[in-house]
This record gives sequence, C-alpha cells and structure tokens, in this order.
Amino acid sequence: MSRLKKILLAIFIGFVAIQFVQPARNTNGQVLATDITTVVSVPDSVHTILKEACYDCHSNNTNYPFYAYIQPIGWLLNKHIQDGKSQLNFSDFGSLSKRRQESKLKSIANQIKDEAMPLPAYTILHKNAILAKAEKDLIISWANTAKDSLSQ
Amino acid sequence: MKRVIEIIAFSTLIVLPFAACSNDNNSTANNVDTAKTTAELPKTSVETATVSIGEIVKGYLSLKNALTVDKTKEAATAGAALEATFKSFNKAALTAEQKKVFEDVEDDAKEHAEHIGSNGGNIEHQREHFETLSKDIYALVKAFGAGQTLYQDFCPMYNDKKGAIWLSETKGIQNPYYGKKMLSCGSMKEELK
Repeated sequence: MSRLKKILLAIFIGFVAIQFVQPARNTNGQVLATDITTVVSVPDSVHTILKEACYDCHSNNTNYPFYAYIQPIGWLLNKHIQDGKSQLNFSDFGSLSKRRQESKLKSIANQIKDEAMPLPAYTILHKNAILAKAEKDLIISWANTAKDSLSQ
Repeated sequence: MKRVIEIIAFSTLIVLPFAACSNDNNSTANNVDTAKTTAELPKTSVETATVSIGEIVKGYLSLKNALTVDKTKEAATAGAALEATFKSFNKAALTAEQKKVFEDVEDDAKEHAEHIGSNGGNIEHQREHFETLSKDIYALVKAFGAGQTLYQDFCPMYNDKKGAIWLSETKGIQNPYYGKKMLSCGSMKEELK
C-alpha cells in the first residue's frame, strides 16, 4: 500500500467513525404551554409561513432533511439549530418576560425587513423558505400587531 | 474505487473545520433556552461591587455618542462594554422590589448590547437594537435615577415614522438614529434628574 492510499484509508475510516456520533434530534412533537400561539394571536396564514421558513431553527421541532443524517453535516445543522433557538424559540416564547417578548417581536419584524432572515445558507436548500414580498409584509405587520397587543 | 475514496476524503477535509466548532454545542440540552442559562450573573464579592446604575448609564451614553457620529466600530466596542457592565452588576445591594425592576430590564438590555457589540460594520442593525435598548435604559433610570441630569429625546422619523426615544446628557439634540444625515432632528421630551 502506498503512503497516499494509507492516508486516504485513514480519512475514510474517520469518516465512517463519525457517522456514529449523531446529535440529539430537535423534535418534540407536542405544543408547550409556552408556545407563541398561547401568548399572541397567530393567524393560520402567518403560522404556515413561520413553520415553513423559521421553525426548523427557531422551534422545538425541526423538519430534518435526509442529509442531516450524514456527519459532519448533521453537526453543522445542529449548531445552527442551537444558535437559532438561543436567540428565538417560538415553542417556548411564553417563558420570556413581556419586555423581552415585545423586544423579540420587534426583532422579528426588523430581521425580515432587513432580509437578514431566513439565512441565505438555509434558503439555498429550502426554496419554500424564500419569502415573497407579500409574505414578508404579512410577517412584519403580524409582528407589529402582536407587539402592540402585548404593550396594551 | 480510488476515485470514490478521494471524493469522500476531500469532502471530509472540507467540512472538518465546521465539525470542530460544532462539538461544544452537542452537550447543551435540546429544549433549553440557552439565553436563560446565561442570565445567571457571576457572583461578585462586596468589595468589587463598584458598578452602579451610573456605570450602566455611562456605558449607554458612550454607545449613543458613537452612533451619533456614525462610528460603527466604536459603537460595537461600547456595546460589548455595556454588556460586560451588566454582567458584573452586583444585585445584592438592591431591595426585592428594585431587583424585580432591574431583572426585568437586564436580560433584554444585555441581549441588545451584545448584538450591538457583535455587529460592528452594520450600523443600521446596531441602531435597531439601540432603539429598544434606549427604552430599557429609560426604565432603569426612571426606577433608580442616573446620578446625573439626563434628557429623554424623541426622533419622530425613526422606525417607520413610529418614532424612537433616546437618552442624552446634553440638552442640545444630537440624533443617534441618523447620525450626520440629520443630526439635529428630534425634540427633548423630558428632563430626568
């Protein structure tokens, strides 16, 4: 065996080995008592968009693509999900103080307006998450209305 | 076969650096809001507890002044410093009621300061966070006093003409939301002693 082959074999074995390190799945299934829908009114039209474009990284229920089972891609996705949830988790929105809920809703509107979210790295593989102008407007006006409903 | 191995080896090499930095996250529990866990303040002993609301206000004002002159990097530095000031704040000296007010503001303000700190180069995004941060600091000053005279100013244009407030140490208007584009736009609403 040549040196090159040995190196390639080692890498291949490493690749196979890491397949056994699967991160825990972010799939809870149930709707928590602290879900966003329990805090503010979320019309179906809005909820559908949120599920399609946001929930993979901002809720307790990720809809995993097949390649999430291939490491290290799965690890990378897992990091995105943990980061996303630490910033905003729709499934546990009610656990935040009112001040922070208002703050988060305002940030949602701003992120959509600034086109900072959904991330380009996400929409490149999730074409459904690319928001049309009307969808963006819908989310922004929902977030603003929801925010105002909290501050009353 | 050799070709296949080469491809796999190559792709592994490419993604390996990402895998390395994702590892530390595997240990964090799934359904825990990590923002909550970081809310715990480090314990500071009584003699190191020199931070007061005045320090927070000072940090906020230097952030405001950086935004006023359109200096995004300086704003980022000031934002990070303000976050650190919040983290080292000793709540032990607060009464139960004061603590409630402080903690209500704390998590939110800390998060906005952190985002301002990590968005050097994107001043518009910094300003978005600054808007809510200003409301937080205003609530703190109302509850605790600033230790100096402050002015609550109002910019009617910002935030899609819904308006936004900020706090200033000077009576003259210097608008942090638009910088030199319209520095003197806005009006003083309230004097805070």
